[in-house]
Formats: sequence, C-alpha cells, structure tokens
Amino acid sequence: MLGILRDLLRYNAEFRIGTVLVGFVLLLSVLSGFSPYPPQDVYVVPPDVPPSPAYWFGTTSRGQDVFWQLTFAIRNTLLFGCTVALISRILALVIGLVSGYKGGWIDRVLMSINDTFIVIPLLPILVLFYFVMRDSMSWLMLALIMACLGWAYDARLIRSVAMSLKNREFTQSSVFSGMSTREILVQEHLPYVMPIVFSTTMNNMIWSIGLEVTLAVLGFTDINTPTIGGMIYWANQHTAMVAGVWWWIAFPTIAVVMTFIGLFLLAVSMNEYIDPRSRLSRMGRVTS
Amino acid sequence: MSRIGALLLAVCALTSQLFLSTSASAQGIPQNIPRKELLILENPEGTIKNAGWFNIWAINAGSQSNGLQQAALDTLWYIDPESGLDGVWDNSLAADKPQYNADFTEMTAKLRKGIFWSDGVEFTAEDVIATVMIQIKNPGMRFSAVLASNVASVDAPDPYTVVFKLKKPNSRFHANFTVRWNAIWIMPKHVFEKVEDPAKFDFNKPVSLGAYVLNSYDPDGKWYIWQLRDDWQRTTLARYGKPGPKYLAYVDPGPPDKRVIAQLNHELDVIHDIAPEGMFALAKQSKSTVAWFKGFPYGHPDPTLPAVIFNDQNEMFKNPDVRWALALLIDIKAVSMAAYRGAATISAIGVPPTGTHPATYHQPMEAWLKDFEIDTGKRKIKPYDPTVGKQIADMLRPSMGEQIPTDPKEIAGAFGMGWWKPDPQAAQELLERAGFAKRGGAWMMPDGKPFTIRLMVEGDQRPVMTRAGSMIVQQWKQAGIDAKVDVAQGTLPTRRAAGDFDAFIGWSVETWGGHQDLSYFMDSWHSQFVAEPGKPQPARNWQRWSSPALDKIIEATRTVGFDDPKSIELGKDYVKLAVKEMPTIPLMAYNVFTAMDQTYWTGFPTSENPYTDPVPNWGNSRAMFVKLKPAN
Amino acid sequence: MSGYFAYIAKRLVQFLLVVFIGINLAYVITHATPIDPVEQSISAVTSFGNTAPGAIEQMRLSLRELYGLEGSAWQQYTVFWERILRADFGPSMSAFPTPVSTLIARALPWTTGLLVISTLVSWVLGNWLGGLAGYYRNSRGLKLMGVIAMGLHPIPYYILALLLMIVFGFLWPVLPISGGSAMNLPQAWTWAFAASVLEHAILPALSLILIGVGSWFLGMRSLVSNVVTEDYVVYAELAGVKSRRILSSYVMRNALVPQVTGLAISLGGIFNGAVITEKVFGYPGIGSLLVDAVYAGDYGLVLGVTTISILGVSIGVLAIDLLYPLLDPRVKVS
Repeated sequence: MLGILRDLLRYNAEFRIGTVLVGFVLLLSVLSGFSPYPPQDVYVVPPDVPPSPAYWFGTTSRGQDVFWQLTFAIRNTLLFGCTVALISRILALVIGLVSGYKGGWIDRVLMSINDTFIVIPLLPILVLFYFVMRDSMSWLMLALIMACLGWAYDARLIRSVAMSLKNREFTQSSVFSGMSTREILVQEHLPYVMPIVFSTTMNNMIWSIGLEVTLAVLGFTDINTPTIGGMIYWANQHTAMVAGVWWWIAFPTIAVVMTFIGLFLLAVSMNEYIDPRSRLSRMGRVTS
Repeated sequence: MSRIGALLLAVCALTSQLFLSTSASAQGIPQNIPRKELLILENPEGTIKNAGWFNIWAINAGSQSNGLQQAALDTLWYIDPESGLDGVWDNSLAADKPQYNADFTEMTAKLRKGIFWSDGVEFTAEDVIATVMIQIKNPGMRFSAVLASNVASVDAPDPYTVVFKLKKPNSRFHANFTVRWNAIWIMPKHVFEKVEDPAKFDFNKPVSLGAYVLNSYDPDGKWYIWQLRDDWQRTTLARYGKPGPKYLAYVDPGPPDKRVIAQLNHELDVIHDIAPEGMFALAKQSKSTVAWFKGFPYGHPDPTLPAVIFNDQNEMFKNPDVRWALALLIDIKAVSMAAYRGAATISAIGVPPTGTHPATYHQPMEAWLKDFEIDTGKRKIKPYDPTVGKQIADMLRPSMGEQIPTDPKEIAGAFGMGWWKPDPQAAQELLERAGFAKRGGAWMMPDGKPFTIRLMVEGDQRPVMTRAGSMIVQQWKQAGIDAKVDVAQGTLPTRRAAGDFDAFIGWSVETWGGHQDLSYFMDSWHSQFVAEPGKPQPARNWQRWSSPALDKIIEATRTVGFDDPKSIELGKDYVKLAVKEMPTIPLMAYNVFTAMDQTYWTGFPTSENPYTDPVPNWGNSRAMFVKLKPAN
Repeated sequence: MSGYFAYIAKRLVQFLLVVFIGINLAYVITHATPIDPVEQSISAVTSFGNTAPGAIEQMRLSLRELYGLEGSAWQQYTVFWERILRADFGPSMSAFPTPVSTLIARALPWTTGLLVISTLVSWVLGNWLGGLAGYYRNSRGLKLMGVIAMGLHPIPYYILALLLMIVFGFLWPVLPISGGSAMNLPQAWTWAFAASVLEHAILPALSLILIGVGSWFLGMRSLVSNVVTEDYVVYAELAGVKSRRILSSYVMRNALVPQVTGLAISLGGIFNGAVITEKVFGYPGIGSLLVDAVYAGDYGLVLGVTTISILGVSIGVLAIDLLYPLLDPRVKVS
C-alpha cells in the first residue's frame, strides 16, 4: 500500500497537488484543537479588523478571529460531508448493484423505493424536518437525513451500468463457472462501477455541503455551531460584502474550494491508478 | 478547434452588443415615469404573493404596506410617533377630537366636509357606519372582533356626524380609529354594499380616500406604483399643501445587500431597514444618504421596547429575585455592541425611550431610579448606573471619531441614559435567597435540577434581536447558568402565543410615541386577559404577568380621559411597579435603520426636523409626501 | 414489441404508486408542522394594531372556520384528495382566499423558463466540452478548461450569485439584478416585454450555468475516458477513422447514455425551484413561493408546490425509463 502511495506521489502530478491541498485543509481542522477561543463565543476580539499580523485572516463583525473560526468550520463541514457521502455510497452501491444484476421483482421493488426517494423534493422535506424537530436537529441527524435522501440518484446510475454489465460475456462466464451473486458483484462488477462511485462521491460531497450552505443561508440549520455555511450566514446577516468585510467570506470560500479541488484530484488520480485499462495506456506513455 | 474559436468569438461579439446598447441607469426603476417625479420606497413585506388583492379588511389576504395604507386609505385620527406636522394629534377625516359622554359609554365624532373618494363619491358618515356594520356582520374580517365586542350601535344623526354607543365603558375606544402604524381604515360604502361576501372580495382596482390612486402593479408582487390624484385638494392631506412626489413606487428590493446597492445606484430612495453594518457602509460611501440621526446611531428608535420576556407562569421565573438576578448578570454595553454595534438607545424602564417619552417619563424618573434599592438578602444595593449611555459613547469614540456626539443632552437622546450595573455578586446573593445553589460552577434550582434557560429568538427575520439574544446567553453561561439560544424561525408567533418558551427576546410594550398615554399596551396586561398555562395568550401580555397592583393602575387609567395628565402619574406608578417586579428585562428601543437618499428628493424627517417617523411602512409616513421637494 | 408495451404498462403502474406514496408522505409531514396558520394570521393582525384581548378569541374561532381547519384529521385528508383529483389545492392560508393553484400558476412559468434553459445550456455545453476533454486528453486548452470547471464547481452557489450580482449590478452596472422583468412594464406578448424578460434572466441563468457546466463536464469526461479504452474505439483508431468521427459517432454516443438519464432527472428536478437563485436575484418563481409558504405555516401552499414537484420529477423519470431501452440496444426489456 505504502509503495503504491509513494509511486503515485512520485509520478502523478495530480495526486501530488491533491495531497498538498487536502493536507493543508486537514491541518487547518486539526489546528482547531489549539484554538484560544471557544468556537461559539462572540465579541472576544475587536471586530472588523482586516488581515494583519495580529489576526492572520482578520476578524468578523461579531468579534471573532476568522482564522480560528475557520479551523472549526472546516472541521465540522468536512466531518459532515464525509458522513453523508459514506452512508449514501454504501446505500447506493448495495441497492444499485443488486437491483441491476438481479432484475425481476427485486429490481422492481427496489426501484419503486428508489423512485419515491428521487421524487421527494429535497428542500421542503429538509425544511419541514427542521421545523418539526427544531433543536433536536443536530448535525448527525441532518447528515443521516441527507444520506437517506441522497443515495437515490446514484443508485440509478449504478443500476444502469450494472444492467449493461449483466448482459456482457464475462458475466455469463462467471455465472457458468459457478460464482455466487455476491462474488460476481464484488469481484467482477465492482471495478467497473468504482470510477462512477468515485466521481459520484465527489459530487455527493459537493452536493451535501452545498445543500448545507443553502440551508444555512436560509437560517434552517443550527447556526451556532460553526460551519462554512454558518460563517456565510453570519457574514450575510452583517452585510459583510457591502460593508467591505470581504475577508469574512473570502477565506471560508477559499478553504472549501481548496478542499474540493484537492479531494477531486486525489479521487481522479487514484481512480486512474486502480482502473486496469487506463494503466495499460499509462504504461505505454511511461516507456515511450 | 478553429470552429470552436469562431463560435466563441461570435458569442462574445453578440453579448458585447447587448451590454453596450443598454443604459446602466435604467435597470432597476420603473419605465415610462420621469425619475424626478418618482419616490421609490421599500416595502418590507417583500414580494406579495397575492398581488392583486387590495381589500385590507380581509385578514392576511394581501399586502398592507405596499402603499395601500400609507397613500390610498384614510381614517378619523392620527397620532404621530414624533412631533407631527402640526402637533402630535391630527384630525384627519374627523373635524375635531372625539367627544365622550360622562361615563364613556358613548362617543361622538364630527366629520370633515368636502372630502371625496377617488371615483367622485363624497365621504360621509355612511362610510363610517358601513365600515363598522359590514365587519360586525361578517365575523372573520380584520376588525370584526374588536368592533363586535365594543360597539352596541352606531348612528348618523346627520351626514357629517357619527355616534357610537358602546357595550361597556371604554375611554379609549377612539384609539381604534387613531392611526399608530395602522387603525380601522374607512371602507367605501358604495363599493362594498354591492359585494356579496366582503371577506372574499379583492377590491381591485381600489378606490382611494387618500391622496394617491393605484397606477399599476406587478402581478408577481414586486412593485406597486401610485399616482397623485388630480383632485388631491379634496383629500385630508391637502391641508398641508400639495404632495411633492407625483408618483410613489413601493418595491421589494431583496436582501439587505441589494438594498444598499440599490440606494448607492440611486434606485431606491427610502430603505425601510438594514443591518447596522449596512447603515455604516452607506453613511461612509454615500454623500447623499441621510438617516434619522446625523451621526451615530443613525437609526430611528421606534416606540417599541425589545426586552427579555420571561414566561412568568414558568416555575423557574415565578420569583422576582430570580428575574432580578438575571438582569444583574447582563452587561447592556456588550449587548448593545453585539446587537447594534453600539447604535442603540437603551432604556432601563418599561417605556420606549423615543418620541415624547424621554421628557415625560425617563427624565422625571431618573432621581427615583438613582435612589432605588434592592435587598439581596445579605445587603442593600443601588443597582442603577446613570452613566451607561455616556460609557457607550466613550467606548465608540476611538473608532468612530466625530460621528459620536459629545454634548451630554445629545448623548442621552442618542444612546439613552442609564441601566443596571452588572453585579454578579448581588445576582448570586439573590439566587441563593431564592433557594438556588451553585455546585461545581453550575447553578441548580431549589429542586436540585440544573438551572437551564432556553432563550427563544426569531432568527433571520430579526437579526438584531437574535444577536442580542446570543450575547445575553453568553453572559448567563459565563455565570454558570446552562443557557442556550433557541432559534424559532417562523414559529415564534405560534410559540409566543402558546407560552411554549422559557424566555424570548421580543416586545410586549408598544406606545404611541408622540402621546404620553400608555394604555395602548398596558390595558392588555390586565390579569383578566392572562390565559391559563397551555392555553393561547392574546396580545400583548406575552410574559403572562398577573399583578393585582397593576390591575388597580389599569382600572384607574380606564376611568381617566385620554389627555388627562393624571394618566402620566398612573404611568409612572406602572414604571415603578415594573422595576420592582421585573416581569421582563427592558433592553433598548427598536432602532430601525431607515436610510433616505437625497439625490432626487429633500425634506425627509430627521431628529433635527422630527415632523414624523420616516419608517415607510407606517400609515403615519404619509406626512413625508407633503414635505418632500425635488432636489434640484 | 409486445414486451415493450408490457414494460410500459408496468412502469405506468409504478409511476402512479410512487406519486401516491410521495404525495401522502408530503401531506403527513406538512401537517406535522408546529406552525399554526391561525396563530400566524392573528399575530400578523395584532402585531401592529390595537386589538382588545377579548376580541382575539372570537377572531381565532372565526379563522378556524374560514380556513377549513374544522373537522377531524381523517375528514381533512379525504377532502384533500377529493380536491387534488380536480387539480384544486384549496385556498392559500397566507394569501386567503386566493387558490393555491393560482399562485403556483403565476410563479411556475418563471421558474420553468429560467431553469429549463439553464439546464439545457449547461448540459449541452458541459457534455460537449467534457467529451472533447475526455478524448483529446493531451490538449492544453481543454485541460485548462477542466481546471476552470473544477474551480467553479465547488464554489458555493450563493457566493457565485452574490459575486455576479456585485460585478454586474454594482461595479459595472449593465444588467438588472432584481425581478423577472422591468418595473411598470405590462406583462403582454410584446417585444419590449420579451426583451426585458431575457435581460432580467441573464444573470440568474449565468450563475446556474456556470455551476451546472462543471458537473456535466466532469461526469462526461470520466465517462468518455472509460469508453475511449474500449476495444471498438481502439479498433476504429487503428483502422484510420477520422478522430472527429470517432468522437461523435462512437465515443460520445455511448458515453452520453447515462448523461441522458441525468438530464431527465435534472429536468424533473427543476420543479424544486432554484430557491437561492430566486432569493438573491429576486426572481418570482416557485422557489421563493415555497420558502415564504414554509415561514408562514401555509401548508396548503407548501403541499401544492411539493405535489407539483413530485409530479414533475416522476414524469421525468418515467420518460427516461420508457426511452432508455430505445437508446441502449444492449438493454433487453424483460
């Protein structure tokens, strides 16, 4: 494993850049443990100070240090995105592969459930859940709900790939050679599906974090826990853009953009590495 | 690849043509209306869902402050929140003040002659009678309930006199027809008598009694344009001259950032409200913007008093010692900085520090407040600090410079006078006397459970109050109380009425502003209206405070005439009682950051020329129209 | 062919089932909201006026009757379904007595127009550029475009919209930043009105397209990079077929199939409304209608908008399921 990583770092520029970006962001999250200010306190430093040696990223109109707030915000946002992505990937894979391969009534039942979930309009449901649950709507709760709503689209995508794979020759030969369904799905079909899973993981993380920002901007989340969306919400409340306090919005945005570009580059380069067909084309490149 | 290049080039050429051909300034303003004759104001109701509905007498159906109540409708009397065009009291459709009989069971109103509706029909007593009877006959309209419970009968002995016979003595019945933001607007009888179901009638196009008629409106609810009537002399506003703007546009300018941008582009003349930071940005960047105060704190203090409102029926808060302790843990300077960036007018007593009240209540009570003592159980202290307003001004002077006044009178007017000194030691003693105990840094109630307070705030809808709430919670937390902010986005009215809260930031005190009478809110605080726990509480006694001493004050006020100076003495009795009992913790006036652009119009009301409240959704703001003159 | 018809029948049954479940779910959740529309109305009326407390109880009773909140939960449920089948969603509580269908009908064209155009443009542009980038892997220009797409894609939509608004509405004010059309311009089938609508749609559409192109671009690029290594493509390259022809007939056509699924679902999803777009640009569509309704506790309106969304998305998914076997001959309709 380590050997693979070392190779990737040495030969693949995308992987290198991705590692650097993600590493920086992770470092920021870890730094949150050293913050001199509790994350939810306000008016602990003079407000609206531009970036300076004393306050690296400046301070907000609420008297908080942008740098230390950002460490908490990026940590919470990353945890949130990862949780949603993980849970929904598992759901999407299981349901998509089984449904696409098995077909028949299993497929119909699973797809009916899937369609119901695709069809439910997300925003009203999320908002309504918030209204009904109010303060018991913690981050974990929100992540669970979003994961349960976010697997449907990708399950369908995986299912359509699985459906085309089912009729390929290598699948037929696996069946004839006596492999069980689970073995076929994991050993034969999964590698074909993994590239899609990786790109959908990226999309899923972007989607879940984007949705979190949307809800936060509308004020429908727990705005006291610092997250990227929460920072933008408060900046908006204090009309930061027009008041000239650009650093309050700029730094969280840069952080989240770095996160995504980094994660994406990592996923793409790992994906390329894993996929046996592109390895062949790369081998061609290296020797020539 | 060259094909792609050519395509991109073509697209660029087309779009640049589009950009060059449009003029930048004509983007956000109405077409086909000369800008010099147009006044553009913000409608804080936002985008109106039911845009074509102008029947203001049906509940919840359409918009009220899209110009309908400010420019098109009218009623008997107005009380100005400030000084008024010609005194605080204005006889609008009425010719004179209301006349009551000796025991306040009958009220007579003499009406003004020569006032006409915009379709040429004359205004007479028949319209007033129709307004009353139609709403009584159709319960479920806006003013049905209040008219049905007060009015036994209404007659017109002649076309310009109306006599109301009341079901029970009510010395303030006329308040229902007196505009403080709104009132019972007069209906056109000749339109509504033909309608089968007045609650379902849309009144489109509306017939105006005020000086403006509807010109056009957006079916999607984003703008309404009103035009000055040709026969404006036949309206009540004509007494003060010809209104300056020929056209009024009430628009939805969007989120706060866009309002600031719109005014900087001179596409929005009157902003209703923005965040304090937006106001400071405007003051810095625009030479033509003017606010109520010339410098800090800029905003207009509305006659409303935000406070920490306890649920006095809640076990935790039944003891006044607990309420006082929580008050002594609050540092109002920090709350003012957090909520308004210091641009707040504080008040320690339960009367808003605005209009005529500082002269009538705040200044005379200073001496009493300075001497006021509470007994913490261990010692006696004088909690009042008369210099808090000055302290806030001093705190702000280093960063704000000459925007902060130095004259003590100006400071008192802008920032308020005094407030309670933060005294954690006294708070601790009071809590201990109430049976609370501090164990390991956290406060416990007498029954052993941790002392937990959920402070409800309205979230995005009232950002300033939310910020104040967050700061107060932080201060209580530092003292060892398990305090949390509870954001009730959209559900605040429901929960407030149901009593589903520990405490919340809101207001239960609202006054006329220009007139000293406090019964506007105080009457509803009588214990006869306090609901059982679990049942909905009617406005305004959200704290559900029952006090026999207060009931006596209220009953005495009911027997005293509206202008009788005795009511001021009774008002002061209420102030003293509220300070002793602390049913709510008064914080500061509700400052509205109304910004006015003087590029096209001058003559806006300010603290130096306080002829009315500039906040544009008030019915009283119509006084602006006659004072505004074109800028060049 | 008869197999296909049987398939259609089965899918239609599934469609109806899904819509039924979805609407019921929405009904249950909206009615679980703790916001009481009667209290909202009363507070709206009493927050400014001087209303005697005794009168408020009377108002409460009258409003309950007026809003049709009388009757048991079961009765309200049956009334609801009766009305839906007649495409009547009942009156709106926060804009009483205007029917919900009127409010939705007024807002829907704005949302539909803006989102259909934005979705189609970003789909076409994203897939085309993504296909090119996936095929011509070594082209520097396309790599640069990839970086830009990746860079724009993760920017939170709100920030991008705000930036566009500030740049084009304030710093270089050439475009309108508010409303669906110019003020005081009557809504009619005239050139002036059409031009005004287009002008007001530019910024919102631009913000949606910039974000949307990114995801289609990335998806298409990874799909194409898979297809490119297929045997038949390698064979065609060796056989000397022009690369442009390979790209359009062999690679894109096959890679496009999952993207068409995505398009159908996206088109269905426009009925969710672009809430933030409409909030930032003041666009009068169903997104802002929904949020206002949720704030006001107007469950008639929320239910109406939600139902329309459910129908829209279901139809989109149904359409793609019916067309998919025709697009990909390898899929047999069982």
